[in-house]
Amino acid sequence: MNTDTAEPIEAGLDPSQLMFKRKWADTLRVTFRAVVKVKGGLWGGIFISVMLICAIGAQWISPSDPNAQDIMHRFAGPSLDNFFGTDYLGRDIFSRIIYGCRIAVLVAFSTVSISSIVGVFLGVVSGYNEGSKLDYFVIWLFDIVRSFPQIILALAIVAVLGPSLVNVVVALAFTAFPFYGRIARAQTLSVKEADYVKAAEAMGLQPIKIILRHITPNIMAPVIVCLGMDMATMIVWESGLSFLGLGVRPPTASWGIMLRNGYKYIQTSEWMIIWPALAIALAMIAFSLFSEGLRVALDPKERER
Amino acid sequence: MLKYIIKRALWIIPTLLGVLIILFSLTYLMPGDPASAMLGPRATPELVAELNQRMHLDRSMPVRLGYYLTGVIKGDLGTSVWSGHKVRSLLAEALPHTALLAITSLGVAALIGILLGAFAAVRRDSPIGGCVTIASLLGVAVPDFVAALLLMLLFCVWIPILPALGAGAPGDPLDIALHLILPATALGIGWVGYLARLTRESMIDVLDSDYIRTAKAFAVPGKIIAYRYALKNAVIPSITVIGLGVGKLLGGAVFVEIIFSRPGLGKLIVDAVYARDFPVVQGGILVATVLFVLANLIADISYAFVDPRIQYD
Repeated sequence: MNTDTAEPIEAGLDPSQLMFKRKWADTLRVTFRAVVKVKGGLWGGIFISVMLICAIGAQWISPSDPNAQDIMHRFAGPSLDNFFGTDYLGRDIFSRIIYGCRIAVLVAFSTVSISSIVGVFLGVVSGYNEGSKLDYFVIWLFDIVRSFPQIILALAIVAVLGPSLVNVVVALAFTAFPFYGRIARAQTLSVKEADYVKAAEAMGLQPIKIILRHITPNIMAPVIVCLGMDMATMIVWESGLSFLGLGVRPPTASWGIMLRNGYKYIQTSEWMIIWPALAIALAMIAFSLFSEGLRVALDPKERER
Repeated sequence: MLKYIIKRALWIIPTLLGVLIILFSLTYLMPGDPASAMLGPRATPELVAELNQRMHLDRSMPVRLGYYLTGVIKGDLGTSVWSGHKVRSLLAEALPHTALLAITSLGVAALIGILLGAFAAVRRDSPIGGCVTIASLLGVAVPDFVAALLLMLLFCVWIPILPALGAGAPGDPLDIALHLILPATALGIGWVGYLARLTRESMIDVLDSDYIRTAKAFAVPGKIIAYRYALKNAVIPSITVIGLGVGKLLGGAVFVEIIFSRPGLGKLIVDAVYARDFPVVQGGILVATVLFVLANLIADISYAFVDPRIQYD
């Protein structure tokens, strides 16, 4: 992701602005190309795409309404009408799994974006002002939140705010942001000594512009690697909280709620547990393969191998 | 290094102070009046007033924070709103169950995982390497609470050979052990693969290093090189991970204890959440957090001892 400075500067554009744009585009393109080259990364990418398609197009893909009850055909095994069988209210499990993608993807993307944006911002600002009172305060804040076992803190926050999709996202994002912050701060400490940052400072660029244009794009590699794995974790925790009845509210189709219902009928209807467990397992494999691909792609040492 | 250890240990004090403030403000964030939220909609005004007075809820916020902090420092975590028992004695009852579960699962998982990883690194071309990859992928794919459900389905419903619920009769070691197998497996299974992969990767790096080549040149037997010289350095990444892992383990214990109905710390917290019994929730989370903080401290310090090459300022 080094920018070749030898290229001519296009006319009419502020040079620093141009460099900023190039860097982000470069990062994305190089990353994507490298991830797909890694064998697992490609498969992870394909799985995640399938999940995304299911999430966006759930109403067209699923064969029936996920909440349509058919009491006469409850606890039915897999058949041509219901590929995955039906649950305790006769709802089609296949449709509910597909709709469950929606909650999983929604929670994964929103928590990870909120926590990474907040965390990276705090981390970069505190790293750039190393040794200041602000720096110590931010480190303190990070360490407090990191002291709690993550899922237990999320559980407590949801217990206080009340179970709902938004509160789950808030709680999970709150528990995760210090991890991004720590990475961002550590990276900033090394990047801010670089010549191009010194040059920008000498040119009299405002600190906020230095942070946004010169530091942030150059510290993103480890953050991006973390993003991939964190999405998997967030999907697990959303289903975990929903499993405990502290997450998304029924009758919304969430894999965690499906497992909760399956647990109640574990003696009679094993399909109610197996399918959502399989869905979670596939999502986990997809995201971990993809983030492994990201790690290899973004690590110059690994790329040479 | 002593300076580093002291600095690291003292940093716990402001951190735990912050933890207490967060736990205290959680009651503040609770929508509505905490007392009526805890007692439910049918509570009489007298009951609410009495609870308010007992928990100092009628005082201003700084005063309440002061009461809370002095209480915690004295070791008084309050009383359960529901049962009237001391939170401290409830925790003392629950903690051994969780400790037994966590130590068993992590201990067995670390032993199997590290040895498997080391073996896979030494015999790089044997099928063990493939097994490690599959095991670590499985560990990632099946999170602990899903593993718990699947194990329950497998060994309690389909092939009913193991007990499903409870922690076993107290004082009967065999019964306790039988009740421990499934929860400990569910909690530890992910760690086997993870630690195996971690150990294998770092062991491969270590085996390629100069001092191992020197040892080979001196004709030191291969097994001694691998398991006495190399493994010591290859284990280092696992130590930090285990420290961090205690947090994950305590989190996973919540689910596993709920599913297998073990009366441990996690079940205590979740049941208290359901019952809106906030003193118990606060106390339970505080204990879990303190355990996690101490585990991280121990991991950091032992890291400094295990790898003297690391420099601290």
